[in-house]
Amino acid sequence: MSNAAVSATETREISNEKIFDAPRELVWNAWTDPEHIKQWWGPIGFTTTTKHFDFQPGGQWLHTMHGPDGTDYPNEITYKVIDEPSRIEYEHGDCPLFYTTVIFEDLGGKTKLSMKMLFNSTEDRDDTARRYGAIEGLEQTLGRLTEYLAIQGK
Amino acid sequence: MQTSNDKLSATFSALADPTRRAILGRLASGEASVSELAKPMKMTMPAVTKHLKVLQKAGLIRQERRAQWRPCYLVATPLKEASDWVFQYKKFWEESFDRLDEYLKALQAQNVSETVNPKGKRKNKDE
Repeated sequence: MSNAAVSATETREISNEKIFDAPRELVWNAWTDPEHIKQWWGPIGFTTTTKHFDFQPGGQWLHTMHGPDGTDYPNEITYKVIDEPSRIEYEHGDCPLFYTTVIFEDLGGKTKLSMKMLFNSTEDRDDTARRYGAIEGLEQTLGRLTEYLAIQGK
Repeated sequence: MQTSNDKLSATFSALADPTRRAILGRLASGEASVSELAKPMKMTMPAVTKHLKVLQKAGLIRQERRAQWRPCYLVATPLKEASDWVFQYKKFWEESFDRLDEYLKALQAQNVSETVNPKGKRKNKDE
Protein backbone atom coordinates (compact mmCIF):
# COMPACT_ATOMS: atom_id res chain seq x y z
CA MET A 1 0.00 0.00 0.00
CA SER A 2 2.44 2.65 -1.17
CA ASN A 3 1.82 6.37 -1.06
CA ALA A 4 2.70 6.45 -4.74
CA ALA A 5 -0.44 4.48 -5.56
CA VAL A 6 -2.55 6.82 -3.50
CA SER A 7 -1.11 10.01 -4.97
CA ALA A 8 -1.44 8.87 -8.59
CA THR A 9 -2.27 11.95 -10.57
CA GLU A 10 -4.97 10.61 -12.85
CA THR A 11 -8.06 12.72 -12.39
CA ARG A 12 -11.24 10.75 -12.21
CA GLU A 13 -14.09 13.06 -11.47
CA ILE A 14 -17.52 12.08 -12.67
CA SER A 15 -17.41 13.03 -16.31
CA ASN A 16 -18.97 12.06 -19.57
CA GLU A 17 -18.42 13.00 -23.18
CA LYS A 18 -20.29 12.23 -26.35
CA ILE A 19 -20.49 13.50 -29.91
CA PHE A 20 -24.01 14.07 -31.16
CA ASP A 21 -24.93 14.09 -34.82
CA ALA A 22 -26.86 17.34 -34.45
CA PRO A 23 -26.04 21.06 -34.77
CA ARG A 24 -25.00 22.82 -31.59
CA GLU A 25 -28.06 25.08 -31.57
CA LEU A 26 -30.35 22.07 -31.39
CA VAL A 27 -28.32 20.41 -28.63
CA TRP A 28 -28.37 23.68 -26.70
CA ASN A 29 -32.14 23.90 -27.08
CA ALA A 30 -32.48 20.35 -25.78
CA TRP A 31 -30.83 21.50 -22.52
CA THR A 32 -32.58 24.81 -22.13
CA ASP A 33 -36.25 24.09 -22.79
CA PRO A 34 -38.16 21.99 -20.24
CA GLU A 35 -40.29 20.50 -23.01
CA HIS A 36 -37.12 19.14 -24.59
CA ILE A 37 -35.38 18.21 -21.33
CA LYS A 38 -38.16 15.93 -20.15
CA GLN A 39 -37.68 13.81 -23.27
CA TRP A 40 -34.21 12.65 -22.32
CA TRP A 41 -33.20 13.66 -18.77
CA GLY A 42 -32.33 10.83 -16.42
CA PRO A 43 -31.54 7.14 -16.65
CA ILE A 44 -33.59 4.79 -18.82
CA GLY A 45 -37.07 4.31 -17.39
CA PHE A 46 -37.16 7.66 -15.57
CA THR A 47 -39.58 10.47 -16.36
CA THR A 48 -39.28 14.09 -15.27
CA THR A 49 -41.90 16.63 -14.20
CA THR A 50 -40.84 20.28 -14.13
CA LYS A 51 -42.38 22.52 -11.47
CA HIS A 52 -40.36 25.64 -12.10
CA PHE A 53 -37.88 26.53 -14.80
CA ASP A 54 -35.94 29.77 -14.76
CA PHE A 55 -33.04 29.53 -17.13
CA GLN A 56 -30.73 32.36 -16.11
CA PRO A 57 -27.75 32.71 -13.77
CA GLY A 58 -29.13 32.30 -10.25
CA GLY A 59 -32.38 30.89 -11.63
CA GLN A 60 -33.63 27.46 -10.64
CA TRP A 61 -34.99 24.36 -12.24
CA LEU A 62 -37.18 22.51 -9.78
CA HIS A 63 -38.21 19.11 -10.99
CA THR A 64 -39.18 15.68 -9.79
CA MET A 65 -37.75 12.55 -11.30
CA HIS A 66 -40.02 9.54 -11.28
CA GLY A 67 -38.16 6.24 -11.08
CA PRO A 68 -39.34 3.09 -12.85
CA ASP A 69 -40.28 1.61 -9.46
CA GLY A 70 -42.55 4.59 -8.70
CA THR A 71 -40.12 6.39 -6.38
CA ASP A 72 -40.12 10.18 -6.72
CA TYR A 73 -36.88 12.11 -6.45
CA PRO A 74 -37.35 15.87 -5.99
CA ASN A 75 -34.45 17.82 -7.44
CA GLU A 76 -33.21 21.35 -7.30
CA ILE A 77 -30.79 22.75 -9.82
CA THR A 78 -29.44 26.30 -9.60
CA TYR A 79 -27.86 27.69 -12.74
CA LYS A 80 -24.64 29.56 -12.01
CA VAL A 81 -23.18 30.34 -15.44
CA ILE A 82 -24.98 30.44 -18.77
CA ASP A 83 -22.89 31.25 -21.81
CA GLU A 84 -25.00 30.58 -24.86
CA PRO A 85 -24.40 28.48 -26.90
CA SER A 86 -21.31 26.89 -25.37
CA ARG A 87 -21.45 26.54 -21.59
CA ILE A 88 -23.78 25.86 -18.67
CA GLU A 89 -22.68 25.54 -15.04
CA TYR A 90 -25.01 24.57 -12.23
CA GLU A 91 -25.22 23.36 -8.67
CA HIS A 92 -27.33 20.40 -7.75
CA GLY A 93 -29.22 20.16 -4.49
CA ASP A 94 -30.07 22.54 -1.70
CA CYS A 95 -26.85 21.46 0.00
CA PRO A 96 -24.76 21.26 -3.15
CA LEU A 97 -22.43 18.32 -3.19
CA PHE A 98 -21.44 18.72 -6.78
CA TYR A 99 -20.87 21.48 -9.26
CA THR A 100 -21.57 20.54 -12.85
CA THR A 101 -20.11 22.11 -15.97
CA VAL A 102 -21.48 21.28 -19.42
CA ILE A 103 -19.57 22.35 -22.54
CA PHE A 104 -21.15 22.42 -26.01
CA GLU A 105 -18.53 22.26 -28.75
CA ASP A 106 -19.42 22.95 -32.38
CA LEU A 107 -17.87 20.35 -34.68
CA GLY A 108 -19.47 21.66 -37.86
CA GLY A 109 -22.92 20.10 -37.90
CA LYS A 110 -22.05 17.78 -35.03
CA THR A 111 -21.75 18.70 -31.38
CA LYS A 112 -19.41 17.44 -28.71
CA LEU A 113 -20.93 17.55 -25.29
CA SER A 114 -18.65 17.24 -22.25
CA MET A 115 -19.84 17.32 -18.67
CA LYS A 116 -17.95 17.20 -15.42
CA MET A 117 -19.18 16.96 -11.88
CA LEU A 118 -16.80 18.31 -9.30
CA PHE A 119 -16.97 17.73 -5.59
CA ASN A 120 -18.22 20.89 -3.99
CA SER A 121 -18.24 21.44 -0.28
CA THR A 122 -18.20 24.85 1.33
CA GLU A 123 -14.64 24.57 2.58
CA ASP A 124 -13.30 23.26 -0.74
CA ARG A 125 -15.32 25.48 -3.03
CA ASP A 126 -12.35 27.48 -4.30
CA ASP A 127 -9.93 24.64 -4.42
CA THR A 128 -10.31 22.72 -7.65
CA ALA A 129 -7.52 20.30 -6.82
CA ARG A 130 -9.29 19.22 -3.66
CA ARG A 131 -12.61 18.90 -5.44
CA TYR A 132 -11.02 16.61 -8.01
CA GLY A 133 -9.26 14.72 -5.27
CA ALA A 134 -12.47 13.52 -3.67
CA ILE A 135 -13.68 11.20 -6.38
CA GLU A 136 -10.23 10.30 -7.50
CA GLY A 137 -9.58 9.29 -3.92
CA LEU A 138 -12.78 7.37 -3.64
CA GLU A 139 -12.04 5.33 -6.73
CA GLN A 140 -8.43 4.68 -5.80
CA THR A 141 -9.35 3.64 -2.32
CA LEU A 142 -12.21 1.51 -3.53
CA GLY A 143 -10.04 -0.05 -6.20
CA ARG A 144 -8.04 -1.63 -3.43
CA LEU A 145 -11.00 -2.18 -1.19
CA THR A 146 -12.99 -4.46 -3.43
CA GLU A 147 -11.94 -7.60 -1.61
CA TYR A 148 -12.35 -5.98 1.75
CA LEU A 149 -15.87 -4.85 0.88
CA ALA A 150 -16.75 -8.32 -0.38
CA ILE A 151 -15.70 -9.80 2.96
CA GLN A 152 -17.65 -7.19 4.91
CA GLY A 153 -20.78 -7.84 2.86
CA LYS A 154 -23.38 -5.19 2.06
CA MET B 1 -31.32 11.63 -6.78
CA GLN B 2 -30.05 12.69 -3.39
CA THR B 3 -29.36 10.22 -0.64
CA SER B 4 -28.38 11.37 2.84
CA ASN B 5 -26.35 14.33 1.61
CA ASP B 6 -24.71 15.09 4.95
CA LYS B 7 -23.19 11.64 5.27
CA LEU B 8 -21.99 11.67 1.68
CA SER B 9 -20.61 15.15 2.11
CA ALA B 10 -18.64 14.01 5.16
CA THR B 11 -17.29 11.02 3.21
CA PHE B 12 -16.23 13.15 0.25
CA SER B 13 -14.69 15.82 2.48
CA ALA B 14 -12.67 13.17 4.28
CA LEU B 15 -11.54 11.70 0.96
CA ALA B 16 -10.50 15.08 -0.45
CA ASP B 17 -7.23 14.98 1.48
CA PRO B 18 -4.34 12.88 0.13
CA THR B 19 -3.00 11.99 3.58
CA ARG B 20 -6.39 10.68 4.64
CA ARG B 21 -6.62 8.67 1.45
CA ALA B 22 -3.20 7.20 2.23
CA ILE B 23 -4.41 6.26 5.71
CA LEU B 24 -7.51 4.57 4.29
CA GLY B 25 -5.32 2.80 1.75
CA ARG B 26 -3.11 1.48 4.52
CA LEU B 27 -6.09 0.36 6.60
CA ALA B 28 -7.55 -1.45 3.59
CA SER B 29 -4.79 -4.01 4.04
CA GLY B 30 -5.49 -4.45 7.75
CA GLU B 31 -5.77 -2.68 11.08
CA ALA B 32 -2.90 -0.50 12.27
CA SER B 33 -1.88 1.56 15.28
CA VAL B 34 -1.37 5.32 15.10
CA SER B 35 2.41 4.91 15.17
CA GLU B 36 2.27 2.30 12.43
CA LEU B 37 0.26 4.75 10.34
CA ALA B 38 2.58 7.67 11.12
CA LYS B 39 5.88 5.95 10.31
CA PRO B 40 5.67 5.41 6.51
CA MET B 41 4.09 8.85 6.06
CA LYS B 42 6.93 10.58 7.91
CA MET B 43 4.39 12.43 10.01
CA THR B 44 4.20 13.14 13.69
CA MET B 45 1.68 11.21 15.76
CA PRO B 46 -0.37 14.36 16.55
CA ALA B 47 -0.58 15.19 12.83
CA VAL B 48 -1.83 11.69 12.05
CA THR B 49 -4.23 11.80 14.98
CA LYS B 50 -5.76 14.96 13.55
CA HIS B 51 -6.51 13.18 10.29
CA LEU B 52 -7.78 10.11 12.12
CA LYS B 53 -10.27 12.28 13.95
CA VAL B 54 -11.67 13.56 10.65
CA LEU B 55 -11.93 10.01 9.32
CA GLN B 56 -13.54 8.84 12.54
CA LYS B 57 -16.05 11.68 12.50
CA ALA B 58 -16.97 10.77 8.93
CA GLY B 59 -17.51 7.19 10.11
CA LEU B 60 -14.84 5.82 7.79
CA ILE B 61 -12.66 4.32 10.51
CA ARG B 62 -12.94 3.16 14.11
CA GLN B 63 -10.40 2.85 16.82
CA GLU B 64 -10.57 0.01 19.30
CA ARG B 65 -9.24 -0.09 22.80
CA ARG B 66 -7.46 -3.33 23.57
CA ALA B 67 -5.09 -4.13 26.39
CA GLN B 68 -1.78 -3.11 24.85
CA TRP B 69 -2.75 -1.33 21.71
CA ARG B 70 -5.47 0.72 20.06
CA PRO B 71 -5.71 -0.32 16.45
CA CYS B 72 -7.55 1.69 13.81
CA TYR B 73 -9.59 -0.17 11.30
CA LEU B 74 -11.68 0.64 8.28
CA VAL B 75 -15.47 0.85 8.21
CA ALA B 76 -16.58 -0.14 4.75
CA THR B 77 -20.21 0.98 4.62
CA PRO B 78 -19.83 4.76 4.06
CA LEU B 79 -17.27 4.19 1.31
CA LYS B 80 -19.59 1.69 -0.31
CA GLU B 81 -22.45 4.20 -0.11
CA ALA B 82 -20.33 6.94 -1.66
CA SER B 83 -19.23 4.54 -4.37
CA ASP B 84 -22.83 3.54 -5.09
CA TRP B 85 -23.70 7.22 -5.34
CA VAL B 86 -20.92 7.90 -7.84
CA PHE B 87 -21.92 4.84 -9.82
CA GLN B 88 -25.54 6.02 -9.85
CA TYR B 89 -24.46 9.38 -11.27
CA LYS B 90 -22.24 7.80 -13.90
CA LYS B 91 -25.17 5.68 -14.98
CA PHE B 92 -27.39 8.77 -14.92
CA TRP B 93 -25.13 10.58 -17.37
CA GLU B 94 -24.39 7.69 -19.68
CA GLU B 95 -28.04 6.84 -20.05
CA SER B 96 -29.16 10.47 -20.30
CA PHE B 97 -26.66 11.06 -23.10
CA ASP B 98 -27.90 7.95 -24.92
CA ARG B 99 -31.48 9.16 -24.59
CA LEU B 100 -30.48 12.66 -25.74
CA ASP B 101 -28.81 11.11 -28.78
CA GLU B 102 -32.00 9.26 -29.68
CA TYR B 103 -34.12 12.34 -29.05
CA LEU B 104 -31.94 14.59 -31.24
CA LYS B 105 -32.14 12.03 -34.04
CA ALA B 106 -35.92 11.91 -33.71
CA LEU B 107 -36.16 15.72 -33.69
CA GLN B 108 -34.06 16.03 -36.81
CA ALA B 109 -35.96 13.29 -38.61
CA GLN B 110 -39.14 15.17 -37.76
CA ASN B 111 -37.68 18.48 -39.02
CA VAL B 112 -36.52 16.88 -42.24
CA SER B 113 -39.90 15.33 -42.90
CA GLU B 114 -41.59 18.66 -42.14
CA THR B 115 -39.26 20.53 -44.52
CA VAL B 116 -39.41 17.97 -47.26
CA ASN B 117 -43.05 17.27 -46.75
CA PRO B 118 -44.80 20.44 -45.54
CA LYS B 119 -48.25 20.14 -44.02
CA GLY B 120 -48.11 16.40 -44.37
CA LYS B 121 -48.41 16.46 -48.15
CA ARG B 122 -46.92 13.42 -49.74
CA LYS B 123 -43.66 14.10 -51.47
CA ASN B 124 -43.60 13.04 -55.05
CA LYS B 125 -40.29 11.65 -56.22
CA ASP B 126 -40.84 12.94 -59.74
CA GLU B 127 -41.35 16.56 -58.71
